[in-house]
Amino acid sequence: MIDFWLIFRILVFPGFTFVLLLTLFCDWMERKIEARIQNRVGPMVAGPFGILQPLADFIKLLTKEDIQPRDAKKFIFKFAPLVAFSVMVFAMCFLPVDGASVLSVSGFNGDLIVILAFVTIANFLLFLSGWASSNPYGAIGSARVLTQFLGYDIPLFLVGLTPAFIAGSLSIAAIASAQTIPYIVLAPWAFVLFIISMQAELEKDPFDIPHAESEVVGGLETEYTGGKLAFLHLTRDVQIVFGAALVVELFLGGSSGPVFFGLPAFWYSLWFVLKLLAVVVITEYITCVFARLRLDQVLSANWKILLPSAVLSLILTVAMVTWVYPLVV
Amino acid sequence: MPNSNVNIISVIESKLKDKVQIQPGQLGTAAIATTNGLHREVIQTLLDADEKTAITSITGLDLGANLGLLYHIRTSNAFVTIRAEVPRESPKIQTITDIMPGAVFHELEVADLFGIVFEGHPSPGHFVLSDNWPEGVYPLRKDVNPYDVKLNPSKDVITQPSDGKQVKIVLGPQHPALLEPEKFVVTVDGETVTRVDPRVGYVHRGIEKATESRTFLQDVYLVERICGICNSIHACSFVETVEKILKIEVPQRAKYLRVIALELNRLHSHLLTLGHAGLEIGYETLFQYFWRDREPIMDLIELTSGNRVYSSLMTVGGVRRDIKEEDIPKIKATLTDLRKKLPFYRQVYEDEPSLKMRMKNVGVLKREDAIKLSVVGPVARGSGYDIDVRKDEPYEAYGEIPFKEIVYTQGDTWARMNVRMDEVEESINIIEYAIDNLPPGPFRVKAPRVVPAGEAVNRVEAPRGELFYYVKSNGTAMPERVKVRTPTYANIPAFLKTAIGESIADVPSNFVSLDPCFSCTDR
Amino acid sequence: MTNTVTWARVKSPWVLHFNSGACNGCDIEIVALLTPKYDVERFGVKLEPSPRHADVLLVTGAVTKQCEERLKRVYDQMPQPKFVVAIGACACSGGVFAGCYNVAGGVDKVIPVTAYIPGCPPRPEAIMDGVVKLLNALNPPKPKKQPKGEKKAEPLKNEAESEASKAETVPVPEVKPVVEEAKVVAKQ
Repeated sequence: MIDFWLIFRILVFPGFTFVLLLTLFCDWMERKIEARIQNRVGPMVAGPFGILQPLADFIKLLTKEDIQPRDAKKFIFKFAPLVAFSVMVFAMCFLPVDGASVLSVSGFNGDLIVILAFVTIANFLLFLSGWASSNPYGAIGSARVLTQFLGYDIPLFLVGLTPAFIAGSLSIAAIASAQTIPYIVLAPWAFVLFIISMQAELEKDPFDIPHAESEVVGGLETEYTGGKLAFLHLTRDVQIVFGAALVVELFLGGSSGPVFFGLPAFWYSLWFVLKLLAVVVITEYITCVFARLRLDQVLSANWKILLPSAVLSLILTVAMVTWVYPLVV
Repeated sequence: MPNSNVNIISVIESKLKDKVQIQPGQLGTAAIATTNGLHREVIQTLLDADEKTAITSITGLDLGANLGLLYHIRTSNAFVTIRAEVPRESPKIQTITDIMPGAVFHELEVADLFGIVFEGHPSPGHFVLSDNWPEGVYPLRKDVNPYDVKLNPSKDVITQPSDGKQVKIVLGPQHPALLEPEKFVVTVDGETVTRVDPRVGYVHRGIEKATESRTFLQDVYLVERICGICNSIHACSFVETVEKILKIEVPQRAKYLRVIALELNRLHSHLLTLGHAGLEIGYETLFQYFWRDREPIMDLIELTSGNRVYSSLMTVGGVRRDIKEEDIPKIKATLTDLRKKLPFYRQVYEDEPSLKMRMKNVGVLKREDAIKLSVVGPVARGSGYDIDVRKDEPYEAYGEIPFKEIVYTQGDTWARMNVRMDEVEESINIIEYAIDNLPPGPFRVKAPRVVPAGEAVNRVEAPRGELFYYVKSNGTAMPERVKVRTPTYANIPAFLKTAIGESIADVPSNFVSLDPCFSCTDR
Repeated sequence: MTNTVTWARVKSPWVLHFNSGACNGCDIEIVALLTPKYDVERFGVKLEPSPRHADVLLVTGAVTKQCEERLKRVYDQMPQPKFVVAIGACACSGGVFAGCYNVAGGVDKVIPVTAYIPGCPPRPEAIMDGVVKLLNALNPPKPKKQPKGEKKAEPLKNEAESEASKAETVPVPEVKPVVEEAKVVAKQ
């Protein structure tokens, strides 16, 4: 027997369609925020206030000619962007948007580790896609993705474990629901560190070294055209949404919030989306007010500052969990 | 020994009196005629006499049976032209690059355009012209018809061989860091740059040749189009040179109006570069802010000249338009607005940590290297090498207007950018002073269209540094030879020197700090 | 379906800028388009670094002989459908540099040009108007009503005034119905 409810949850809400629309919306919002901070107005013509701009870009790219460079590693060149996109969307399915995960079986103790592993895989696929294009700029761009990612994965992981320590669980749903007081209040230092390493992980300013136009042209996307480029762009946008969603789940109490009337699921989703957009605003603000650092500066900052502070943060959290929090909560 | 107050001419007279011939005239402080080989001796004498001796340009001339060479040398208080001649059949002369490294590109250009062989040049080859240029055709010689030039079929050599650890990265001709098509082959070892090979000439249009087939009046508009950014200064320098040959004095009011136009040009050029540098270090917000504040200046240029970009204000004998009395309050209000915004940008440059990390100690050029490589403009002043033609050899009304010469000593990207930032403020002061003290009277005098035979040189301070013009007329309405040496051409060696040993990521920001303008460079 | 695709193409023109030997005047005006006063991101225009991503190639300057090959290569690297806009008098015909020994001529001597925007340099408003007109020419013609794209172009025109009317659009060779449309746009 076919479970229509399950199919609905996978394909429409809170699954694929919802994620896609949310991604396009976030993309629009980012462009708008960036434009407003820079004294511009941003997209205006496609749809009301240009809200359909990302959709127009996406459709246009899908219908462009698809060029495959002669020297490219054809198989990887073709499939890496698509697989990276799928992996990110799949990772999104583990996040309880309306209070529960997309698949009732997907939420288990330890899924935090699993989705962080998915991020790693997606980044590696992006590296592969740049490397496969056999273009010097693509190769440099993707090498930079990998270098930067190897550095920042460790602090991200360590700081990401902080909420798990406080909640005493590795399940995202359990961490989210354990936050009667959001962890941003209990462990603000971890929140700040998490935002910084997330910023680096998502390759946004001041860490957008793999996308430095003046140095590496288009980076790993240089040789991509048409649909493949569309999916590379989309993967990046889903990553940003995913990063924001993870912050919401780990530090802002997930989808919890007051239910006024009607369906609780509706209110939960609303709170989730609102919190997520707030995080996007913060990250985009950081992007706009900083210059891009150099790769060696970023790496030394990582090993010398961020990694030790991540370890310290973890120690501090464990101490707090043992002695301080029992008095507060 | 090195002394900036020394009288160069008397030094030459005392040392080489019997060998060379000193001719006063309009080729700077003096022209020194030499016979084969002696030009090196004169330059060596100048180098010994003054520590700030540097080369401005080398001009090639087609004199019929012979090919002429003019070495234009600047010292701290003089500007000297050294003449040399070589026979047309075997045009060979000894290089001066061993005693004056700044002359490398100048010699390459003359070799390309006149076919003069510089014996002992470290890297001969095509520089301005493309690699498939036909052999034996030297476009600036008089016997070459520009319409007849046909290029050889190009060989398809787009390979990037990498020998071992060294990887070659080609920047350009189409590259987002360069608005204009030029090629720089950067060899990197890991992330460190070990070698930079420039290849200019993608924007070479042959303007110097084109001026010879147009009248002086048409040439004013043609040389203005050498560069779309610092256009007024090109036109101004050209008309000044022609006025020197014509021996006409420009009315006082025209001098002030020219200063206003030139400083507006400098303002928009500096704001543009300050913004562009933001773009290169990934600071897009800064870029957008600078360009937002540049737009009112563009409006002022339009208000005073009638056009946003090409003001076409300069003409032989004065300017073509006066400033309207009713426009003055608007000009002043706009400048005051800009002045109010400057402290914010200063603060960004002083306090913003990510910006300082990308600009401090990047592309450091020491003072002695700056002099040796003969760099000009903000690049020189950022390294503590204080040359500013507006001060050293005042032209137009600059002698009467008080302003500061901005000098920083750090020599890095940050210092160069701060020179520009301070000069923005100085420019505002200059314009305000010029408007307040605008003398009454006519703003142009009638000038004849036919220019008597003669030659003159002229130096002005463009936004990017010293701009040099040489004009030779033959008594007709068309010039015999026009030579332009643009500031970027003199500054490229500084980039080649400072890029080595740096991270590849610093190449764009280091490069933009020179404020490169390739349409100027190539002409 | 075709309507949706056309809509997307009109709303999302990503441009690549190539300087084939210009004096910087037009180039700076193109960059000025991205900045707060003009902000072409309103129309979905993005300046892309790689030819592979671009829909519209903006060429400035007379084509020098040294740039000729490179211009062809960049054009060939762009994916279909692609358009070329020649910006400035030099790109249209060679301008003041026509006949110089290292100048091959206007852009149309080397690659097919879709739209010409004359001016020295054209005002940013004129460049914007030219690109928007070119894209609106993609919309299928609607015989009775005013062309849909024309409405969108109107607010621009007021800004650009006389300069804008100089911008003329010429038909894309492959697309037949565009011809009539383009003429209508050009006349107004």
